[in-house]
Order: sequence, then structure tokens, then C-alpha cells
Amino acid sequence: MNVINRIVLLLSLVLAVNGVHSEELTIEITRGIADAASPIAVVPFSAQVPTSEDMAAIIAANLQRSGRFEPLSPGSYPFRPSELSQVNFDDWRVLQVDNLVVGQIRPGAAGNYTVQFQLANIFEGKPLLQRTYNVKPQQLRRLAHIISDLIYQALTDERGAFDTRIAYVTENAGAGAGEYALMVADSDGYNPQIVLRSTEPLMSPSWSPDGNRLAYVSFENRQMQIVVQDVFSGSRRVVAAYPGINGAPSWSPDGRRLTMVLSRDGNPEIYVASVAGGGVLRLTNNSAIDTEPVWTPDGSNIIFTSDRGGGPQLYQVSAAGGQPKRLTFEGDYNARPSVSPDGRYVAMVHRRAGVFYIAVLDRQNGQIRVLTEGGLDESPSFAPNGRMVIYATSQRGGRGVLAAVSVDGRVRQRLQLRSSDVREPAWSPFGG
Amino acid sequence: MNSVFKICFIMLLGLLLSSCASTAYDTPAETPDAGQTATQSQGLGQDQYPGTGYYPGSATGTEASSYPYQSGTVPGGQPLSGAVASSDRVIYFAFDSFEVSPEYWPTIEVQARYLIENPSAATVLEGHADERGTREYNIALGERRAEAVRQVMIAYGVSPQQVRTLSYGEERPAVDGSSESSYAQNRRVEIVY
Repeated sequence: MNVINRIVLLLSLVLAVNGVHSEELTIEITRGIADAASPIAVVPFSAQVPTSEDMAAIIAANLQRSGRFEPLSPGSYPFRPSELSQVNFDDWRVLQVDNLVVGQIRPGAAGNYTVQFQLANIFEGKPLLQRTYNVKPQQLRRLAHIISDLIYQALTDERGAFDTRIAYVTENAGAGAGEYALMVADSDGYNPQIVLRSTEPLMSPSWSPDGNRLAYVSFENRQMQIVVQDVFSGSRRVVAAYPGINGAPSWSPDGRRLTMVLSRDGNPEIYVASVAGGGVLRLTNNSAIDTEPVWTPDGSNIIFTSDRGGGPQLYQVSAAGGQPKRLTFEGDYNARPSVSPDGRYVAMVHRRAGVFYIAVLDRQNGQIRVLTEGGLDESPSFAPNGRMVIYATSQRGGRGVLAAVSVDGRVRQRLQLRSSDVREPAWSPFGG
Repeated sequence: MNSVFKICFIMLLGLLLSSCASTAYDTPAETPDAGQTATQSQGLGQDQYPGTGYYPGSATGTEASSYPYQSGTVPGGQPLSGAVASSDRVIYFAFDSFEVSPEYWPTIEVQARYLIENPSAATVLEGHADERGTREYNIALGERRAEAVRQVMIAYGVSPQQVRTLSYGEERPAVDGSSESSYAQNRRVEIVY
């Protein structure tokens, strides 16, 4: 790397650090059904140390976003216990709350903090969960997500997906337009980090199953190409740069292969390539557009978009090749599949009467359920626990924003980044 | 001369009817295999970009990587001739269509003549779509449009090696907005040197 590149890199580091704090996402719950949600009290944690994070508020916001809990509003706590031994359950039964979370942050060894939390069922007066952690001061926000996952799992018997991340693409609006960035933020939109900046478009981020790498599309050097980048070390490698289209990368469940779209043989077709390099296997052979391939979680099939029947519809083909089978028949436009972690559902872009919605196809019975209000909704991505789908939609004025909807369609929220056009969210796997 | 162009138009119609979809690139020697691509892309495979330590406890806060580069230069240093620079180099398309309307054949012909007269010149046909529909599908649609223009150029006698396609799909709209008129301006192929 030469000196000029180093200077440019340093400058962009400075810009990135300055830019990040004004670019936090704000979350607005646009639709929720309170009577289906279980009331819970998350008492503000007592802190004997200076903290920049309100852990109870982070936990409460997480639980509320799931649509399954209704936290007590922060101002309405008549008592502020920091451990269950201080709790008189009769006092809390009056508040009609099902469950209670208390916690405390104390000084720990070597400048670390000791964080303890407890979860109890109020009506049974029974402790359900207790954990103590020794963490660095800057780890409190992540710990709040880990605790949220434990509470969610203890109360629902399902794995929480709060300690996960979302990758997405931004384009600066207004001044500096034409500046693209690949970003990774926490699942609640906080802590956005720049993975890559480019003056050329960036597209189609896809997480490796271990959550360590992102595959994406870039147009650097005026060549569409598929790049795999380690999100921790930043090292990146071009895995496809053939003539024409190099698009829509998606990882195999074992993390060894990518399915992708190439038009190197003259027409957009679905291919499978080893991440490590080597030859490519062509799966489709049709004069239509075949694109947006994704693996099913068992690794046996690839679901993709094709307009071989006229308009775009979803098809499925064996990952070893063979005759594709059509999956969708309702509506004149079904595209951009995202398969649920259990393999049963396929979230997709679904058009009716010129309006684009996010819908879910049930692979067991072929039925389609529309989840969103519609507009220019696109790029659905399942949470790793299969409960929520994150997607991109447009605001008035044309700016892209992210939104999330529960798979039953009952809870919806909008994640808003202040000064950018946000698009193409990809929810990380567990541990990513 | 006149009859030559008539033959060209007949060839062209034939190509359009036989669907531009199934035409392959005539540049097998330039097709890299997967093993070569990592090293072929101007050293990108080797460049290390600083990581983003977004896990709690990581030593650094926020870092970014960047790869600025210049665009807009003419490949091979070939300056634009007066005729090429001044003529319209944008071809527009109907909704969900990749058919080159005959009204744009003269536009393409001017560019084709330039390329035939300057065998060392090369052009990139940048295909674009409006914002409706999914992003990767629109990449394919933009590619179709660019490939359709490429086939017209080849029909005019341009060497296939002088023309490559690059689809930006809906990623680089000519104009913002969600009106029919902005959509019409965004469904296009730009002939770029």
C-alpha cells in the first residue's frame, strides 16, 4: 500500500469515527398488539459505578420489540429493588405484572464491573433465573443483549436473537451523495460500524453461517464482483469477477460454498462456487432471468427467482442440479427469497396491484401470508430464531429505511438512520 | 453502403427475435476461472483492510476501510472524438422491457462507427433499471438492456471485444423520485468510454 493510500485510509478512519455517532438508528414501533404481550417489570439496575448504559432500558426495549412483552414504563416503578431478597411480591402483584427483573452493577476486579441480574415470576413468587458476570465497562450494552436473550428464552422456551447483528448498506443523502457504505450494527440498531466504504454501489450482503464473514457485491474498478470479507480482520478477497453479472451471493449452511448469479455464459444463471476458489457448478440452464439464490437450511436445495414462467416467481432446485420446481403461484411477482432457519417459511417480495409487500410462503401448504402494509418493501431477512423478518422500505421522500415485522405480522417497527438511505438488511446468524 | 446497412438491420431483427438472452460472450480467453479471479482484480485479494472491532472488549472503537479510485477515464487513453462526445449516448427502455426501440438505432450507429474506425477503443454499456422490483432482479434487467444494445453494435459490425456490459440495476438512478417520468429516465443504457 503506498503512502497516498495510507493517508486516504487514515482520513476515512477519522471521518468514520466522527460520522458514526450522528448515524445511530432510532427505532419506532409502528404497530403492536399490547393484549398479546406479557407485562414485565425491568427495574433500573442499581449502579455503584459510573455507567454510560442503562441496562434495564436496553433489556426492556429488546423485550418490547419482540412483541411478546409489555415492559412497565420507566417512570412507573414504586419500588426499586436491586435483588430479589429486597422484593415483597405482594407489592408487585398489585401492578398486574407477570414477571420481574432486578439487577445491580458493582465494581469488580481490575477495573471491571460485576453485573448481577435475577428474574422472578411475580404470581408464584418464584425466582426463575440468576446470573453474575464480570465484564469490562464498555461491554455493558452487549451484556444487556445477552441477558435479554436469557430472559426471553426462560419465559418463551424459544431462543432470543437480541445478541445478534444486522448488516446493511447505506448511501449518503444530500451532501456527499454517491458515497456507499456496508455497515454492521447491533440488532437494536445501536453501535453501527463501517465495514467498507466505496464511491461505487455496494449490494447484497450475506453472512457466513459462523457470523465472521460477509459476502457482498461491489463495483470497484467498474467491474461487478463478489467479495468475501472478514468482519473482524477486514481482510477481503474477490471470489468472482467474470464478465457480466457477479451477483446475489449466499452461503451454504456448511460455510464452504457460495451460490451466486453469473452471466459469464451469456445469461443470468445460478452457480455454486467454493469459497476457497476453484471451479463453479452451474445449476440452471434457461434463457430466462434466474437470480437471488439462497440455500435451504438442510443444504439440499436452492430457492431462487426466475421469470421463466413470464413474471418473476420462486423456484427450487436441488443443490446438486436437476429440474427446478415452481414454488409460488399467487401474485404476479414473487422474488428475493429468505428461508426461515427451520426451513418451513420463505419470506419474499410479493407484488399485488403494483404494490410491493413482504410476504411469507409456507412451504408445507403453499400458502402466502402478507406481513406488511406495502409500498416499495424489499430485501427480507429472517432473524436467526425465525420470529422476526427485517426488510427495507421507503419513506415519504424516497429515502430507504429498515423495518422489522414479526412472522405473524402482529408487531412492526421502523429503524431509522438519520441522514442516509438505508437498504438491504441481512440479519446475522447466532453468534454473529 | 446502403445495402450493407439493410443487411445489418435484418441481422439485427433476427438477433432480437432470437432473444438476446442466449447469446454468449465471444471472449472465452478473457474469462477467468475462479482460481485466477482472486489475483486478477488489481491486487484487491491481497490488500488487508483494518477490521471493525465491534465486539465489546476489542481494543479499538470504530475503524473504516476505503478504496477510492478514479472513474471516467477513457480506456487505453483514447480521447473522445468530437462526433462521439457530442452525440446522445443514452438509450431508454419501456417498463420491464429490454427491446431496443428503432428510434435509437441511429444513436447506436454513430457509436458503432466510432468503434469500427478506432479498433483500439472500447466501450462499456451500463445498463440501468427503475427502482421497482428487487435489486438483483433489476441487475439482470439492466444486463439484458446492455446486452441488447451490445448485440445491435455487433450487428453494425463492431468487434465483440470492444464492447462489454456492466449492469448497475437500480443502484445508480439518473434522477431521484418515484414518478413515472423519473422511472422512464432511469430505464436506460449509457454508452460510456
